[in-house]
Amino acid sequence: MNLPPDFPPRNRWGALLAQLPADQVRTAAAVLMLEVVDITLPQSGLGLMHLSDSALNDGFYLGEIPVARAHVRVKCADGRSGEGGAVLLDDRARLARAIAVLDAALAAQLPGWESVATLVAQGLDAHEQRAQTRRALLARTHVDFSLLGQEEEDE
Amino acid sequence: MGYVAIKGGKASIEGAAAATDYLRASSGKQNQSLTLDAIEGQLRLLVSRVVSEGGLYHPKLAALAIKQFQGDTLEAAFALRAYRSTKPRLLETPPQNTVDMRVIRRISSAFKDIPGGQMLGPTYDYALRLLDLGLADENPEDFRAIARHFLADAPENELPDSFPKVLDALRTEGLLPPLKPVAGAPFDITRQPLIFPVPRAAALATMARAETGSLLAIAYSNMRGYGDVHPTIAELRVGYVPVMLPHPVTGEPMEAGEVLMTECEVVAMFEGDDQGGKPVFTLGYGACFGHNEVKAISMAVLDRALQKGMKDGAANPSEDPEFVLLHVDGVDSMGFASHYKMPHYVTFQSDMDRLRTTQAKAGIDTVRQKDTV
Repeated sequence: MNLPPDFPPRNRWGALLAQLPADQVRTAAAVLMLEVVDITLPQSGLGLMHLSDSALNDGFYLGEIPVARAHVRVKCADGRSGEGGAVLLDDRARLARAIAVLDAALAAQLPGWESVATLVAQGLDAHEQRAQTRRALLARTHVDFSLLGQEEEDE
Repeated sequence: MGYVAIKGGKASIEGAAAATDYLRASSGKQNQSLTLDAIEGQLRLLVSRVVSEGGLYHPKLAALAIKQFQGDTLEAAFALRAYRSTKPRLLETPPQNTVDMRVIRRISSAFKDIPGGQMLGPTYDYALRLLDLGLADENPEDFRAIARHFLADAPENELPDSFPKVLDALRTEGLLPPLKPVAGAPFDITRQPLIFPVPRAAALATMARAETGSLLAIAYSNMRGYGDVHPTIAELRVGYVPVMLPHPVTGEPMEAGEVLMTECEVVAMFEGDDQGGKPVFTLGYGACFGHNEVKAISMAVLDRALQKGMKDGAANPSEDPEFVLLHVDGVDSMGFASHYKMPHYVTFQSDMDRLRTTQAKAGIDTVRQKDTV
């Protein structure tokens, strides 16, 4: 069984899983019952955000952002293994590790990967809902210019 | 005369902290503690000031700092700076690009028609500055209904999440200076002291976390006549920039999250280049964490003024990098102002002694001398 063609690419899985409640994500990673080895220890700290100035293309640092990251190797009971990772704008290293486990399970299609795919789809729904709300902010405030004298006044 | 060590006041300092907290907890009829969610959502522009002036995009902690310091933005920004100093720095992002910003507001005062159209988004710009007395006693049901109704009334739309830049059209026409080639790592103001002259990257970073009122005041001096920027806002946008970082396994850029920011690009008077090339508009750039339009506009005006000052020499304070960059940081300036509240008993005693000596030498009969007779 394969992921559907319109399924989000791997580089979006972390952000989409991060849309879900952290407890749900951690529980989902735990129930996979995978043996997890940290390739690098999960960490939380800060990242310096480098921004390109869009006027002249000078780079500068806008400020700092919270970062949590994890990189794991997972192994299931039948001996198959996979590698997963996550980098989040978040303080919670444990959450990053749980997402890295889910990333590994889904990428290597280890037992239980279908439930991870369902979570990613739920994250996509949450993301889409948020995007719709933002589009509503734009749609309600789209400026409809007209020249004076060419059209009747609205009111 | 040297300083003398003193001690005492421990109980009163603890009492002052308790008194401050007492006022927070005893105010109002309901005596309900503010939730961080309420601060983050309902005081979002205050949170925006604190994340940008604190230099750390952490809205939840900014809300906490606002609660702890009872709405004092300078103290809240200070607390965020202190927090950041306790955390390890794990990485530096690759250069992020605001072309992919998930826009919630974009306007231009340069063109009526811009690619994708103008969207006012959430703004008070066109509202009357009259108090809405209905908010004074807002009932919870009415409050919840606001969001419901807004979404129900939103028209169907096929709008994209991101939009092209207004400046790109001007650049295509050859009216703007060319983009600079990508340089190395920018100046890091959190680890390198500002020793002048500093590169533009240092100026932009300093202004991005500057105190809003300080930036505005100096930019305003330029607008009023102590300068010559006269900007036109090519584009002002507010939205969420996806932060792309390398995936730990694949190395491909992955979205780690998003950051709300405000960005302003201003076009100012044209000028020719030093080599006699064709004249082009000059540009200024402003950006900051959160939704803070006055700050982004002020920063863009000052960026343009500082570019002129760095090139031709400063003709007024807003063009002087040292004057601007050393006086716009809220934590620095607040700290200096506040330090005057600390005991200066010895230095003031010394001042009084010097004054008495001077008066005595001048033969002036001082009050103290009279009193002691």
